[in-house]
Formats: sequence, structure tokens, C-alpha cells
Amino acid sequence: MKRIPWEAILALLLGLALGLGYAWIFSPVRVVDAVPSVLRADFKDQYRAVIAASYAANSDLPRAEARLALLGDSDSYQSLSGQAQRALASGDALQSYQLAQLASALQGLAPTMKSSTPTSSAAKASPVAETAISPVLPSTSTPFDDSILFPEYTPTPRPTRTPLPPPAAPFELLEQEPVCDETLAEGLLQVFTITSNNRRQIPGVELILAWAGGEEHFFTGFKPEIGNGYADATLSPDVIYSLRVASGGTVLTGLGAPLCTRTNGETYVGSLKITFYRP
Amino acid sequence: MKKWLWVILAFAAGIGLGLLYGWAIDPVDFVDLTPETLRADFRADYILMVAEAYEAEHDLDLAARRLAIFGSNPPAEIASEALQFGPSADYSPSELSTLEAFVQDLRGWQPSSGVTP
Repeated sequence: MKRIPWEAILALLLGLALGLGYAWIFSPVRVVDAVPSVLRADFKDQYRAVIAASYAANSDLPRAEARLALLGDSDSYQSLSGQAQRALASGDALQSYQLAQLASALQGLAPTMKSSTPTSSAAKASPVAETAISPVLPSTSTPFDDSILFPEYTPTPRPTRTPLPPPAAPFELLEQEPVCDETLAEGLLQVFTITSNNRRQIPGVELILAWAGGEEHFFTGFKPEIGNGYADATLSPDVIYSLRVASGGTVLTGLGAPLCTRTNGETYVGSLKITFYRP
Repeated sequence: MKKWLWVILAFAAGIGLGLLYGWAIDPVDFVDLTPETLRADFRADYILMVAEAYEAEHDLDLAARRLAIFGSNPPAEIASEALQFGPSADYSPSELSTLEAFVQDLRGWQPSSGVTP
């Protein structure tokens, strides 16, 4: 019977271990020619922001979509919305606006403003007004999926300069009603923006709530758990407000938090629900 | 003598197999990479996006900050990469002129208010 060559087997295993150790630890494969999907999360955010800025400049949606696909997000809309919210929270209104615009466009909605040079009120908007009676937007966190896919690289399509979309019709008031619901926060202003034909909610719409001595800018779409076209603010009692969509349309004046009555006869500050539609 | 020859041969074969497996069959997976590792066409496309945004925004400080993702080289130098790469990647004349104007503007750019790209 032939003897098992233990020495050779041990030498093979030792060599294998050394080879693997060298290949994995001491001299791993050097990464060059990486694709955007393997970038660190913060660099991906920056890449996504630049895609949105580029889209804001040229309105080339197919190209923006192709570029977003390179990042390997499982849901580009959610990634854009979440990042827009974070940008707004950090005070970068321009980036938030651009990200929200691209998110809107991904949903098949025309931009609410001309895409180039978004330096108007959106860029200057501050999430919190600087006056004493500033309404405070409730803070929220948007859940979004961080899971990463690694799609095959498809070259970015070469430019196709698409014409700018025609200006969207201004928003008009569909519904305005006081809501007496004790489960809602007192003085809550709920705003929805929808399309008139199929009542799809429209995110990324900038709203301006003004009162004597100040105004507040806020956007729809930052609470997708409630609705993509939903935004809210808090109305202080005894303050008269006006509300309008920044891109134009109906201006609602004389708004105030309604007074409601509980079953025991006590009064409390109710909320207000307003729905704008785009014809 | 013959036995040691087999041991040496097995050891060498083991190293060879280990390297083959570790480098070719199952190399280390890399995630969380930095932008410097991006392939040239992705780098150029990123720079082109920054140039397109700059064309509308006219904010050189912001453009320079966006380019700083690629390191501490002068922004004009970083942007020049795309200008050199563009012709080989069939960039359109309008894209090349956008990049050219962008690089020109960056050459005369000085960081304002302590902004370091």
C-alpha cells in the first residue's frame, strides 16, 4: 500500500495560504477604473447632486437618468428625495431645490420652473424664517432605501440637447377646508399639490407662506410617507397668513388657524387643509 | 531527495494557486472608494456635469468645490482632464466649448472668502 505524501500536502496547503495572504492582504488587486456605484456614500451624494445641477442646467432627462443609473441606487427617486431633505435640513436650499426638481422629473412631471439658473427665491430660501413668530416646519426623516445594486456599466448617452419644456400652467385652488381633528397638531397647515387630470401628487413645488413681518418657503414632497405632493407648516393662532405657489397662480389671503370645539365644549386650534391643482 | 522535490513542487503549486485565486478568481471586493479611482470617462463626465451646471449658475466657487472631489490640484487642472479626454470620447462641439470656457474661467479664479477647493 502506498504511503500518503503528507509532507507534499502540507507544503501545498502552506503555499496556498501564503499565496492567498499575499494576494488578499499584502498586495491586493489595485483599484483603478472604478464605476460610480462603488463610491463611498458621501461621494455618491456629491455625484448625485452634480447630476441634479447638470439637469437643472440642460433639462436633459434621459441623460440624467442614465447618469443616475450609474450610481446603482435601487430607487433613484427615493435617493433624490432623501438627499434633498438632508440638503434642506443643512441649509443648502439650491441643492435641495435641484434634487427635488430632478426627483419630480423622474416621476414624469414637468419642472415647475425653468430649469436653468435656479437662483431665485429657492436658492435664498431659509428653512426657518428669522422673525419671532416664524412658523416652524415639523422635522421629519424620510425613510429611504440605501441598498446598493451594481448594475452593468452602460455608457452615458451622448448629449441630446432637448428643448426646454413649455412653462407649466400655474396652480389654482381646488379645495380649502378647516379640519377639526384632535389627533393633528394644533394650527397645522396641510398643503397638497396635484394634477387636475389624474390627481397625481406633485413633489418639489415651492410654497410661500407669508404674514405681517415675514415669510416662509417650504416644498412639497419631503414627507413621502404622507404624500409626494404634501407639505405642511404650523400656523400661529391670531396671525393672518397668505399662501401661494412660488411659480405663480392663485394667492390665498386671510388664512388663519380655525377654532374648533371639543365634545366637552372647550375650544382648540384646529388645522387647515388646502389643495392646489395644476390645470 | 525525491521526496523533498515533491514537497518543494507542492509548495510552489500552492503559492501559485493561492495567487490565482486571490488575484483572479476571487479578488478583494472594494466598496467605499474615493473619486480618484473613477475610470477616466466617468471623471470626465463628472467634470462635464460641473461645467454644464456652471454655465447656468455662474458660480465659480461652487464649481471649484464640486471639482475638489478629485483632490487638491488646482480646479483648472482638474477640469483640463475632461477637455483633453473629450475629443477621444466623441464629446459634441458644444460640450467641448462648454468645457473650454469653463477651464478658461477657472484659470482666472481665486478662492473667495476663504473657500478652499
